[in-house]
Amino acid sequence: MGFLVTTLIFIVIGIIASLCTRICCNRGPSTNLFHLTLVITATICCWMMWAIVYVAQMKPLIVPILSEGE
Amino acid sequence: MGEVARSGCCPPMDLFRSEPMQLVQLIIPIESAHRTVSYLGDLGLLQFKDLNADKSPFQRTYANQIKRCGEMARRLRYFKEQMLKAGVSPKYSTTPVDVNIDDLEVKLTEIESELTEMNANGEKLQRSYNELVEYKLVLQKAGEFFRSAQSRAIEQQREYESRQLGGESMETPLLQDQELLGDSSKQIKLGFLAGLVPREKSMVFERILFRATRGNVFLRQATVEDPVTDPVSGDKTEKNVFVIFYAGEKAKAKILKICEAFGANRYPFAEELGKQAQMITEVSGRLLELKTTIDAGLLHRNNLLNTIGAQFEQWDVLVRKEKSIHHILNMLSLDVTKKCLVAEGWSPIFANKQIQDALQRAALDSNSQVNAIFQVLHTRELPPTYFRTNKFTSSFQGIIDSYGVAKYQEANPTVYTVVTFPFLFAVMFGDWGHGICLLLAALYFIIREKKLSSQKLDDITEMTFGGRYVILMMALFSIYTGFIYNEFFSVPFALFAPSAYDCRDLSCRDSTTVGLIKVRDTYPFGVDPVWHGTRSELPFLNSLKMKMSILLGVAQMNLGIVMSYCNAIFFRNRVNVWFQFIPQMIFLNSLFGYLALLIIVKWSTGSQADLYHILIYMFLSPTDDLGENQLFVGQRNLQLVLLLLAVVSVPWMLVPKPFILKKQHEARHGVESYTPLESTDESLQVESNHDSHGHEEFEFSEVFVHQLIHTIEFVLGAVSNTASYLRLWALSLAHSELSSVFYEKVLLMAWGYNNVIILIVGLIVFIFATVGVLLVMETLSAFLHALRLHWVEFQNKFYEGDGYKFHPFSFSLLDDEE
Repeated sequence: MGFLVTTLIFIVIGIIASLCTRICCNRGPSTNLFHLTLVITATICCWMMWAIVYVAQMKPLIVPILSEGE
Repeated sequence: MGEVARSGCCPPMDLFRSEPMQLVQLIIPIESAHRTVSYLGDLGLLQFKDLNADKSPFQRTYANQIKRCGEMARRLRYFKEQMLKAGVSPKYSTTPVDVNIDDLEVKLTEIESELTEMNANGEKLQRSYNELVEYKLVLQKAGEFFRSAQSRAIEQQREYESRQLGGESMETPLLQDQELLGDSSKQIKLGFLAGLVPREKSMVFERILFRATRGNVFLRQATVEDPVTDPVSGDKTEKNVFVIFYAGEKAKAKILKICEAFGANRYPFAEELGKQAQMITEVSGRLLELKTTIDAGLLHRNNLLNTIGAQFEQWDVLVRKEKSIHHILNMLSLDVTKKCLVAEGWSPIFANKQIQDALQRAALDSNSQVNAIFQVLHTRELPPTYFRTNKFTSSFQGIIDSYGVAKYQEANPTVYTVVTFPFLFAVMFGDWGHGICLLLAALYFIIREKKLSSQKLDDITEMTFGGRYVILMMALFSIYTGFIYNEFFSVPFALFAPSAYDCRDLSCRDSTTVGLIKVRDTYPFGVDPVWHGTRSELPFLNSLKMKMSILLGVAQMNLGIVMSYCNAIFFRNRVNVWFQFIPQMIFLNSLFGYLALLIIVKWSTGSQADLYHILIYMFLSPTDDLGENQLFVGQRNLQLVLLLLAVVSVPWMLVPKPFILKKQHEARHGVESYTPLESTDESLQVESNHDSHGHEEFEFSEVFVHQLIHTIEFVLGAVSNTASYLRLWALSLAHSELSSVFYEKVLLMAWGYNNVIILIVGLIVFIFATVGVLLVMETLSAFLHALRLHWVEFQNKFYEGDGYKFHPFSFSLLDDEE
């Protein structure tokens, strides 16, 4: 599971979620746009968080050094 | 201003812009005015303007009616008080009453007089009852004195007689005998008074009596065991029964005065024993009689209160509605003909039809010959801000509103806050165990929503209940970031894949000195579980979280600047696009956007470059070679360009805008003085009211200083705001450290003792520490920091927040006011 695959998964989840809100609570164009904005913002936030943590671990500069006790 | 054309930049979105409003004028025939206002109150979409602001409340047309309503409200309050005293609770019935307000007034007056009469009677009866009780006590206790005194007197007499009989001896003095005999013949008649005095005053009472009469008084007291109800005050007090013997009328007058001063109640008292007994039976009989009368009265009163209680709520609502209607009617101005009332107010445009419907219905229902007239006025006054929120968005809107109410039709940060606020909270509160706890709390409030919303809650619960959907979102994001941080009450789980790291060789000898080595693909979701508890955990997490804070911060600040672009486009303000949005964007991104880029490049290439060094020397010596800190080819040239752009964008922000504004103002003014008046006289009339807004003096120096401040604020803010986002790092670090301390130092240590009791104690301490410190205090602090990041770092990029809220006249809002 590389960076791109997981990113794709995020995109797919985002699309599914926005379709779900569209189908489940269809309340006129302006409300739908609001829901879409919420879903997109949430997806981007979650993706960013994941991507940052993932990219930071790709090429490690520091490696885990176990504590003495273990 | 009512119809600022929606520009084509983006399609309309809920909550993004406040509802378009308009100033409307209603001309209502006086006979249907009351009903019209009542229907509009049911609708709740019109904010009336006070057209009689210069009149005092007493000069207004409906001052009398308001006074009447006030009187009725006072009566209702009196009933409520009485019900509260009697322990009758008002019933909540939903059946609407069909009571006319005038009938209600008559009814309330009747009930009030009935109730007061009943109370007065009851009080009188109770008083005489208490008096009788005291009287009975006096009779009993003082009777005892007399009886004992008498028996002693008889004894003395007998002794004396016996002595007299056997005393025909030599020892008996001759004189004494005579004296005694002579005494009895001209005995002074002693007067006496009986009564009750409060026990705490009894000592002083006695002393004063003694002094006042110079000792020529004889006082007997007996304590009454049970507290007695004082007939005057109605309080239960401990009292003493007293009997005072005195001689002479002067003494009596003194004693009476003293009794009065001490609040001692006196009662008539007969000397003869037979009469006393008779009086006791008489008093007892009367007591019994009174008791039944009082009970009957109370029953009657309770019945009355119960009938009041059954309808109290409806009456209360009716009276409050009536009062608010007249309050609104007072805000309307009377037409010259005195046949109609003129109302002005703000209403959202979408409500036009509903308002017109209400007007028509009111005219129809009150058999008015003419309909009310509805017309839209044009004004340059800024309309109120009105967002149509639901129970989910209202608490988020509340967060924004507590910073400042959006200017009319300004871009509303709530649209993004709904997601970014809980998200930033969760970045600081990443632990899916704690997240689940929060989720359960939020779900508890949401499931019991109906029940709790009708209840009266205490302050803290009320606040939590109000923010239940905010807490729900915070919990959901906390669970997500908890998975990213890989922490469940600080314990990591390898849920998604095995750890990417392993020992260098089979013996694993140097795992504690050199460390493990990455053998597999990067851990796919979140932080690798192997880091937990290692010696290099902190350096790794610190570097990660710090860089993450900067990346998230730069992203959110960019979003804020983009919002300012939306505003500029919406209000057709090209100056703001070219001389605010663009240079701001360039400045922020050429410094901190570049930093974000460097972070990402460094991570993805695994370079050893020192980012601090790069950024600092980008300013100090931009032309120098980067050496080993070079991350990509052409970095030095890029840096030069970016630096140049940043330097250019500062005067770009500062200088042109004031000049352009000045030019625009001059142009507008020059043109305005020559254009013919195109507006109809109706709008002219309105215009004249708000003229002062139109021709503001243009003070160039003021505008320039304003712009200077803005520029400095932005430039310095770009640095300080970015630094401010580092709080994300600090708080999330504190959270994870605290939770791991609680886990390791409390739970694991207790576990290590292999003792059930210690384990239980450890578990309890762990639970309390987790709930108290992590779930309550940390939630609060993370909430506040997320709040600050939104209010300051995000909103200062675009949000003016100087509008005022739309307060429609609505009956459903009446309850909240009181």
